Order: sequence, then structure tokens, then C-alpha cells
Amino acid sequence: MINDKNSQKIVDIIQNWARKHSIWVLGYGTGCGSIEIPPTMTSRYDAERLGVRGAATPRQADVLLITGYLTTKTLKRVIRVYEQMQDPKYVIGFGSCTINGGMYYDSYNTIKVLDKYLPVDVYINGCMPRPEAVLSGFGQLQKRIAEGRADGAKQYKENLEWYRANQKKIIPNWVMPEYNW
Amino acid sequence: MNTIYIIFLIFLGGAVFTYFAGKIHKVLQDILFLVSILVPAYLFFANVEIGQNVNLTLGGISLSWGINYFSWLFSLIVLGLGSLAAIYAVGFMKGEKRRGYFYFNFILSIMAMTGILLSRDLVSFFVFWEIMTWSSYLITIYNGNKVQSIGIKYFVFSAIGAYAMLMAIVMVHHITGSFMIGDMIHAYPAMALSMQIWIPIMFLMAFGVKAAMMPLHVWAPGAYSNAPMAYTSVFSGALSKMGIYGMTLVLVTMVNHIPQGVWFREVLAWLGGITAVIGTLWAIQQDDAKKLLAYSSVAQLGYIITGIAIGTELAMLAGLFLAVMHALFKGTLFMVVGAIEKQTGTSNFTEVTGLIRKMPWTFLSALLAIIALAGIPPLGGFVGKWMLYESLITSNHYLLVIVIFFASTAAFLYCYKFLFGFFMGQEEKEWAHVKEAPAVMVLPMLIMALFMLVLGTFPGIILNPINHGLQALGYADSYKHLWDTSIILNSWGNKVVLQPILYSIAGIFLFFIAFLTWKGYKNTRFISTKDISSSGEVPKEDENLTFSVGFMQPFYRAVEPAMRRQIDKYYNAFADGLEATFEFLRRIYTGNGQTYAIYVIVFVVVMLLFKDFLF
Amino acid sequence: MEEVLYNVLGAIATFLVAFVVGMTYGGLNRKITARVQNRKGPPFYQNFIDTLKLASKKSAIHHGVMQHFGPAFLMVTSVMSLLIVPVLTHNQWFPNLNFHGDLIFLLYIMVFGPLGMALGAGQTGNPNSAIGITRGLSQMVGYEIPWVLALVALMIQYHTTSIVGLMAVQAQSGTWLMFSSPFAFIAAVMAMLGMFSYSPFDVVIAPAEIASGPASENGGKYLFTMMSSGSVFAFVKLTLYVDLFMGGADNIVILLVKTFALYMIPVLYSLTTVRYRTEQSIRWFWGWPSFFGLLAILQAVIF
Repeated sequence: MINDKNSQKIVDIIQNWARKHSIWVLGYGTGCGSIEIPPTMTSRYDAERLGVRGAATPRQADVLLITGYLTTKTLKRVIRVYEQMQDPKYVIGFGSCTINGGMYYDSYNTIKVLDKYLPVDVYINGCMPRPEAVLSGFGQLQKRIAEGRADGAKQYKENLEWYRANQKKIIPNWVMPEYNW
Repeated sequence: MNTIYIIFLIFLGGAVFTYFAGKIHKVLQDILFLVSILVPAYLFFANVEIGQNVNLTLGGISLSWGINYFSWLFSLIVLGLGSLAAIYAVGFMKGEKRRGYFYFNFILSIMAMTGILLSRDLVSFFVFWEIMTWSSYLITIYNGNKVQSIGIKYFVFSAIGAYAMLMAIVMVHHITGSFMIGDMIHAYPAMALSMQIWIPIMFLMAFGVKAAMMPLHVWAPGAYSNAPMAYTSVFSGALSKMGIYGMTLVLVTMVNHIPQGVWFREVLAWLGGITAVIGTLWAIQQDDAKKLLAYSSVAQLGYIITGIAIGTELAMLAGLFLAVMHALFKGTLFMVVGAIEKQTGTSNFTEVTGLIRKMPWTFLSALLAIIALAGIPPLGGFVGKWMLYESLITSNHYLLVIVIFFASTAAFLYCYKFLFGFFMGQEEKEWAHVKEAPAVMVLPMLIMALFMLVLGTFPGIILNPINHGLQALGYADSYKHLWDTSIILNSWGNKVVLQPILYSIAGIFLFFIAFLTWKGYKNTRFISTKDISSSGEVPKEDENLTFSVGFMQPFYRAVEPAMRRQIDKYYNAFADGLEATFEFLRRIYTGNGQTYAIYVIVFVVVMLLFKDFLF
Repeated sequence: MEEVLYNVLGAIATFLVAFVVGMTYGGLNRKITARVQNRKGPPFYQNFIDTLKLASKKSAIHHGVMQHFGPAFLMVTSVMSLLIVPVLTHNQWFPNLNFHGDLIFLLYIMVFGPLGMALGAGQTGNPNSAIGITRGLSQMVGYEIPWVLALVALMIQYHTTSIVGLMAVQAQSGTWLMFSSPFAFIAAVMAMLGMFSYSPFDVVIAPAEIASGPASENGGKYLFTMMSSGSVFAFVKLTLYVDLFMGGADNIVILLVKTFALYMIPVLYSLTTVRYRTEQSIRWFWGWPSFFGLLAILQAVIF
């Protein structure tokens, strides 16, 4: 019965509804953007009313929030954290730096386009994006989850070799456990 | 010839033959060793009937050996644990030096303990008691000179106990004119009050030393942790129970008959409680597994002493049941430490980590033993703990119950520390080569673990002989009234029915295990302990992130004021004082002839000067 | 056989009630916290969504068999204590195992799960887990003292160690034990603050400090089982307090009113305080709470 196509669809709808309304965020405070997280979470903007809540470790988290520019050193850790998260998982690129490098477009030690290294589901534009923008970004992610289009993890798995090649180009001393799920 | 003689002859002959057999072949030595422990144990349980008595006269003193239900209960501990430990010892001593020495003393101490239980007269009781002390002392110093001072500490305390006992025996003989224990018990109620108080105190001192009771416990941690582990399981599991055996006899057959006896029992019960607390607090702090278990033994013996000192039926059942359980779980745990020490070469928590996947069977037996130690259902330790609490509450010892409860809650800390220290934590490259201990060492542990599991649900198996033993001491029958095969009750009629509890626990556990395993089975991966979420960093091969140094620091910081005082310091101060006295005496007895000549002259002069007053 | 089946069905019904109530209370806790902080807060059913999401996580990892079993150990504690504690006074609905165990048994089965879980958390090799566990166990030694003092006071005053017996005492006399043994109630409630391990006694999980401690390597189905177990266990604790001190409950509505009133104590207290260090909280429990516990014993002995 579970394998029946229609009932699977219903189960998917319920599960996606739950995923949509319960987003546990691992805020990886890589850059200056992490200063916008506290106002988003606390009384003024209160992201918890949307089900958005901080997670303590990658094992429990659903969303990896890359807040701002990403140095080449940090990239390795971010990849590590992303790979430790459990399926289904999503990445939000926060601020212009994750899109095209932003004001660090010519920096020698930050990465410019996050999408080459991790599958980003939603970008939040701005430098800095205000909490309203962040909430709107979460809303966008929720919409994509409900529609079942937030499949960054699946793409990552399918195109792992391409991602790995890009990552290894940046990170010279690659000592990491295998990613095999 | 009577079986009792045969048993002792096999023990003695076996000890001697085993000692010399090492010169011929090592395997022969092992076989002889096993034979000289297992055969007497078999003969004892198969052929010796309860109530049997033999008398013989040696050197003008008539000796009497026999067995009743009460000593049979303890012989179950001694010979049962002794046999399993003997099997374990064969594996443990493989490739060690001085095996003959070890085996010889091992057999002798098992013999001495059996002898103590069989003795019906004070002379053979004392002789066996001394053999037990000597053989255990010799094994304690097995590791050579560096443990000499620990051995001496043990020996000094044992000697103090033994002299106290000897004095008591002499006094008893002076009063009754007989060495028979039965005569002593009969004569006791009619003795003078000072004798009625001093004789039990003397005996209790002797037994208190072996049972590691509070002011007399300082030898225990050192001696337990420095003897070879194969012997320590007997040392802590069975030998300490000889103290409990003696204490029970003194309390029940003598002290109970005088009105002042209630003070004895109150003081002993509180000493037991304090012993439990102190032992537990110190156990938490140890980084060496042997030391931890040694202090924990002291603490557990505290519970047992409290139980038998309270002296109600339920409390006696609790104390004796805990004694059996303690023999089982502490025997197992010392064997576990021995196995780990044998395989890794160290027993320090800060060095060994992550053995669970390398030594799974050892882990399983350690886990069951620890659950029993902590007193968590559905294992046997719970039954003993439950009975102890209920007996304390129903006999109005409401502060003592808090003390005991504190000790056994704090015991979770060292229980966890033991399991975590050895088996959990990150798996290190350094211990990648470690293999499971040989079967001959693992089997005894597993057998005992199985016993603990069974006793947790069917405590009647052991409560039945305990009940018979207590009836032999004059207690009323408590079957159906305080216990049934798998029900335990208190005197207010509240009960714990163990069978449905076991089945529910097993049912719930299996259901959720099935759920956890079945759900997303294909997408559940096993990953190594290096693959942890530690700030996105990958620990290197030689990098060990296990938290093991200063493990229970937060708790220790909270109880620190209580731990500044150590009883050892008082003993040391006392010893220093004695040394100073001797130093002063040495100035008088210089060993120089001229000094003595002066003394003589001075004496004569004094005599001459004061002869008018003196004579 | 029929009786066994009946019991199992009753147990499942009790479990479902406890799960729903515990989850709702958890959600209400979050809502109340939010309102106190002048936020809108998540809906009261947010915890249901969270558990459902955790249950629908596709993948999971474990570091070995003990971690795999850990949440099952926790569940054993929750469900076993749920079966022992009487849910309603006249208990045709949920007979369970009420007459098969007493308070001492309950105290011991309550630590079965946390210790099993602790072993699982230890096996992960994550230092944060081990640190959290040492803190948790130390704190447990702290709050067990006033808790046991209170329980022993009740036991010696009314000459019974069973929960059903204490409920019968209250039914007979018509007064709740929180009025006839007030000191025991105060000590027990203070111990309850530690049992719930909300602030200021939340040093065990301390998310910002040791990354949620024992749970830090658990995700997906493992965290789901742990969260469910926690909700059930919260319900059990509240029901136990209602049974012991507030005369039990005749029907489910009264039970909900009483448990919710009790639940507000740790929730509201947590909003006014900041986190204690472990040794501070241990000493706190050995201070006034234990003093009230001793007063309770004094009262039980004298009256």
C-alpha cells in the first residue's frame, strides 16, 4: 500500500508540509551577515512563528545558512558540515557575497560563486539583507519545499564529481571522510 | 573417610602439587590447579549434607567441622565464585611469571574460606582466618617490591583484627572453658555486662577489617587494586564476605540477646552508610579502573553492612542478597578489568578508549554487571537495593535511607565512568590491534552476567537458601510474606512483581529497537567515531577528542569540601605519633653497654638514697 | 491471553494520550515563552510538526550499536514509568502495571533510560556528548536528594510505598497531600525544576555551549524517538506529582487542568532565571530544597 503511487503522493504532501513548517537552521556564521540572524530570531521579527528555529549541530539541522562571504579556509568546514547533515537538507546563500562575491569580487581568498561548491536552494540578495529579506527568503524556501522543488541535495549527489572537482581546486589538502549516501 | 576431610586433603595436596608441577609442564600445572579447585567444589555441593558434623582431636584440642544452612549460603559464594575465578585465572595467568606462587596461594585462600565456613570451633576458625589473611597478603604482594607498602598496610590491619579476635577467643575460653562456637553462644547471655560488650566489639573489629568497614577500610583500595585481577574478583567478591559472615553471626546470635545490642546495630548501620558514601565519593574520582572498583567495593560492602546491622527480616534478606549479588557483579567487573589489562596492558581510563567494538563480549558482561551494580531493574541488583530501602523505611531509619540513597545515586557516576572510560569514546589507532579476550576468560564473566539477569526476575532462587540460612539463625520463615519466586514485598504489603516488569521492559525495548532498525534501514549508515560534528573539523588519525581527563569534575567541585578530610591522614598522624614515641624509647634503649651501666648505677643509687621510704 | 491483549491495548492508549498531551504542553511552553518575550511565537502544535519532520528525515547515521539502541533505552524508561504511574484515579481505562511496582521501583526505572542513552551518547565519540552527560548525572545526584526526602516523608507518614496507596490516603481523608504535607510538596516541586531541566538547570543540553550535549550526534529517527520519549516522560512526571500531591484526577479534563497548573511552575520559573553552573545547581538543590525535605521528614515523624 505504501508503494502505491497515489498514497505515496499523499505521504509526500504531508511530509513536505511538515518539512516546510519546521525549519531548523544551522547558522554558519561565516561572514558579517551573521549579525542579521539575532534580530531575525528575536522579538522584533520572530522567525519562530514560521517554524524556523536554530539547531545546535549539523546532525539535527535542515538548513545550512551561509551568512556572507566564504573564505577558502572556511569552505572546507562548510562542506564538512553540509555533508554531515541528514537528508533532506537545504542551503540558503545569504547576501551578495555568496552570489557573485559581492564587495569581495576580486579577493584572492574568498570564493565567488557558492553554487559551484554547494547546491544552493535559495539566495537572499542584499548587502546586508535586512531581516525582512531573510524572512522572505525562508518563505521562498518553504514554497519550494512544499512544491517539492528544493532538491539541492539530490543534485549534489548526482553531480558529486563536478562539485568535488570544484572543491578540490580550492582546497589543496583534502583529507575528508567519503560522502557516500 | 568423610567428604569434608577429602575436600581439605585435595585442597592442601592440590596446592602443593600445583606449586611444583610448574617445573614439569605448564599445562599440567593449569590442569592440577583447576582440579584442586573444581573437584572439592563439586564434592562439596554433591556429597556434603547440611547438618553434617565431624569431630577430631588435634594436639589435645577437639576440633569440630560442620555445615548448616547459613554457612552453606556463603559457601555458594566462595566455591561458586572461586571455581569461575579459577577458570578465569588459567587464562589470565597464561604467560605470567610465578604462576606456582599465585596458584598455591589461590588454592590456599579458597581452602581457608571453606574452612572458616565449616568451622564449628574457635580454634580452627582462627587458624583458617589466619591462613586466609596470609594467602591473600602473599597474593597482594605478587607484583613485587613496589607494592610492599600496600601489602604491609593490609597486613597491619589484618593483624590488628586478628589480635582482637584472638583476645576475644581467649576471653571466651576463660569464661566458658570451651572453644566451641555453640558453647560461646549459649554462655553469652549470662556473661558479665563488660564481657557482653567487649567480646562482640573484638570480634566485630576482626570482621570489620575484612569487610572493609569505615574506619578500618583504608587497606582495601590498595590491596584490591594491586593483587592480580584474577584473584581480586575472589578477594573482593568472596573474601570480604567472610567479614560479613562473621558479623552476621556475632550480631544475630550474640548481640541481639542483650538490651544494649540496639546500639551496636545502630552504630554499625551508620558506619555502613558512611562507608557507602565515602567509598562512592572516592570511587568517582579515580582514573584507574582497579582503584575505582576497589573503592566501589568498599561502598557496596557498606550497603551490606547496613542491611545486616538493621537486622529486621527484610533487612537481613536484603543484606545477604546484596552480598550474593556483590560477589557476582564485582567478581565480573574485576574480571573485565583483568581482561582489558591483559589485552591492552593498562587499566587507566585516560589511556584506553573505544574498546566496545573490539571486545564486545567483555562489554556485554561489563554492561550487565554495571546495571546490576547500579541497582537498575531488571537485573538482580535492583532486588537487593529495593529490599534495603524498604527495610530502612519500614524500620524508621529515615535519615539513613537518605544517606544510602545518596550513595547509590552518586554510584551512577562511577558506573558510567567505568563503561565510558573503557568502551566508549573515540576509537584510537593505538588500540586498533586489541582483540577479544580468550574464551576461557570471557566464559566465566558471561556465566555470571547470565546469573545476574536471571536473579533480577527470579530472585527466589537465591532468596530461598537465604531464607533457610536465616531460619537456621532463628528468624521466622519469610516465604510468601516478604518474597516469592518473582515477587518482593515489604512489611507494609507493598510489592514489586518482577515478571510482568521484565516482559514489559523486554517488549518495549524490542519494539523500539525494531522500529529504529526497520525505519529507513537502507539509508542508515554506520560511521566511524572520527566522523563527528565538531565545528566542521575532521579530527586527525592521532588526534583523540575523548573526554576522559577530569571526567566527573563538576560533581567533584560540588562535593569538594567533604573530600578534604581523609581517614588515611589520621592513621598516618597516629603512625607518626607512634614512631615519635618509639624514637623517644630508642633514646633510652640505645643498645650501648655503657648507657645500660649508667642506668644500673643510677638505679642502685636511687635505691640506696630512698631505701627508707621504699622498704 | 485476552487479559494480556487488553493490557497491551490499554498501554497503547495510555501512550497515545501521554504523547499528545506531552507534545501539546511542549508547544504551549514555546508559545508562552514567546509571549513573555513579546513575540508571536510558533503555533501550539509546532512540536507535532517538528517530530513529524524528524520522522520523515530520509537518512540517519549512527556510530555503533549502543547509539543505535540509545533512544530505545529512553523509551523503556518513559513507557515503563507511564505504565506504573496511575493516570486516572478510578482506573478502568488504564490499569497497566499500577499494582506491580511502587515508588522505589519508579525511582530506579526512571534512571534506566538516561543511563542507556548516556552510553549511546558516549559511543558517538563526540566530546560534547560526554560533557553533557557528566553534567546531567551530577545534577541528578543534586535533585534526587530533596526528591527522595519528600518521598520518604510521605512514605513514613502514611505507611505505604505505593502510589496507589498514597492516592487512597488522599481519597479517604479528602485533603490533598500538598496541604497535609506542605513541606514535602515544596521540596518535591523544587526537585521538579531540576527534573525538567529547564533554565536555570539546563546546563545538560546548553545548545550554545556544548551543542545540545547528549543529543548532539542524533538526528532524524533517533532524535524523533528521543523527542517523543521526552514528551511522554514530561507527562508522566506531571501525572506523578498530581497523583502524589493533588489527589489524582477523576477524569481527563481534571487531569489536564492539574497537570497544566503544575507544568507552569518550571516553565514560568525558567523564564525568570539564567543558567546555573553544574556545581551551583547541585549546591542549590542541597540547600533550601533539602532543608524543606528535612522539615517534611520532621513533620512526618512528629505528627
